[in-house]
Amino acid sequence: MNYFVTEIDRAGTVAVDDTILVKGCEAKAGSHILDGFVPLFSSDAVERLVKAGFTLRGKTHTGEFGLDIAGETSYHGVCKKADGTLSTAAAEAVAAGAVKQALCVDVNGAPRRGAALSGVDFLKPTYGTVSRYGIIPTACSGEQVGVCAANAEDVEEALSVIAGHDGKDGTSLPAEKYEYAADKDVAGMKIALVKELYDAADEGVRAAIDAFRAKLEKAGATVEVIPVTDVKAYATAWQIMLSAETCNNISRYDGVKFGYRAPVYKDIDELYVNSRTEGMGFTAKMNVLFGSDVLSKNRYMSCYDKSLRLRRLASEKMKEIFAGFDAVLCPAMSALSVPAYDLAETFERTERELLFTTIPNLTGIPAMVTGGVQLWAAAFGESTLLSIAATAERMAD
Amino acid sequence: MTVENLKALESLNEFRLTEAEEEKALAVFRFMEGEAAALQSVNTEGTEVMVHCMPMTNIFREDVREQAFTRDELLEGAPEHSGDSWIVPRLVK
Repeated sequence: MNYFVTEIDRAGTVAVDDTILVKGCEAKAGSHILDGFVPLFSSDAVERLVKAGFTLRGKTHTGEFGLDIAGETSYHGVCKKADGTLSTAAAEAVAAGAVKQALCVDVNGAPRRGAALSGVDFLKPTYGTVSRYGIIPTACSGEQVGVCAANAEDVEEALSVIAGHDGKDGTSLPAEKYEYAADKDVAGMKIALVKELYDAADEGVRAAIDAFRAKLEKAGATVEVIPVTDVKAYATAWQIMLSAETCNNISRYDGVKFGYRAPVYKDIDELYVNSRTEGMGFTAKMNVLFGSDVLSKNRYMSCYDKSLRLRRLASEKMKEIFAGFDAVLCPAMSALSVPAYDLAETFERTERELLFTTIPNLTGIPAMVTGGVQLWAAAFGESTLLSIAATAERMAD
Repeated sequence: MTVENLKALESLNEFRLTEAEEEKALAVFRFMEGEAAALQSVNTEGTEVMVHCMPMTNIFREDVREQAFTRDELLEGAPEHSGDSWIVPRLVK
């Protein structure tokens, strides 16, 4: 199976997804509209890895602008598991041992779903701790570069290198460096299990949660079921904000300065329209249309403004939860297998999956998928997540 | 969302959908209108908007030029260019 849209060095041990820029390497973010775009610089995360001695294996396929369930909308090829079901190329490359670590941009939870589908780990760190300089932007206010690896220690190794202040990113937080550890004692930790998300998942996912919960309790943690009653509203709010931001970010692709240009046009308007019509897939277009609608005069207050207020409510809810708990346990998605489906359905299917992944994107808190389940912690609580994951990984099933 | 409004959004965003895609897009809009309507049941009165999910402050740095690319480097990525310009169809008729 070919995980890579571009191979860099067959001896390399790290992959980056195709929304992360590597100088001199074509970057397409899974979209035809960026065909031929060769960046003049590398992302800050890649620069840090290379400086620290990591070598790049290649760029993995990603869904168009990261807007799908698990990479299925890529124009340049879809990565499927051996049984024909979907997962992300990055997670499959890690699961197969083709690379030790993979950097992925988490816009809507796709890398977390990929990790759950392929049985590996992925950590989306606290917003602002890893520079977004040099990633192709989709939804700037919630997307983050994270690390996929086979276990918590390997996640920590790469995350420790890529995290830290970057003056080139206006959303980068001030700490020069972050120290992470995967060896905190889980005994005595209090974990919250979100009832609404547990109930919304299928039997297989609930069994994975039950098994993980049993491990935590065996390790000395306590698990308590809690309600988060507005979680569906938070998911809709992120879909609204994500589409609005996508609409703005994608508007720059017009076939003039870089990327794809339609071969046939009679004037400048046709150049724009034909290039964008041919260059973007339906899901990207659907996000643009919905995004421009929610930003319109008639819908702004009831949709976009409302979503910004829901972001604050979600953030306050998380602060309330983490005042009493060390971490949250919940499903990463509704099912641990996604058969191939009609891509005309991607927008709605992905919107439904946002239920499980939205809160970390919306509020900036870190999230980690391990053993097919998802964990959240308070901002800067990555070590808690890594330690819980490492503890569970050491325990036999 | 009506077909006319959808076509206006397509025009605004400089792309076209096929008829089949328009039909699907209208269905997606109906679905999302239902989702958005449900938001109104959550009381946000008195809640301030939250633009940044983390506390953000302006980043100031010395006003010196860093990492400038040459005109040739920037033109190299264009689908069509000539000399020192991007090539586009004639704008003035």
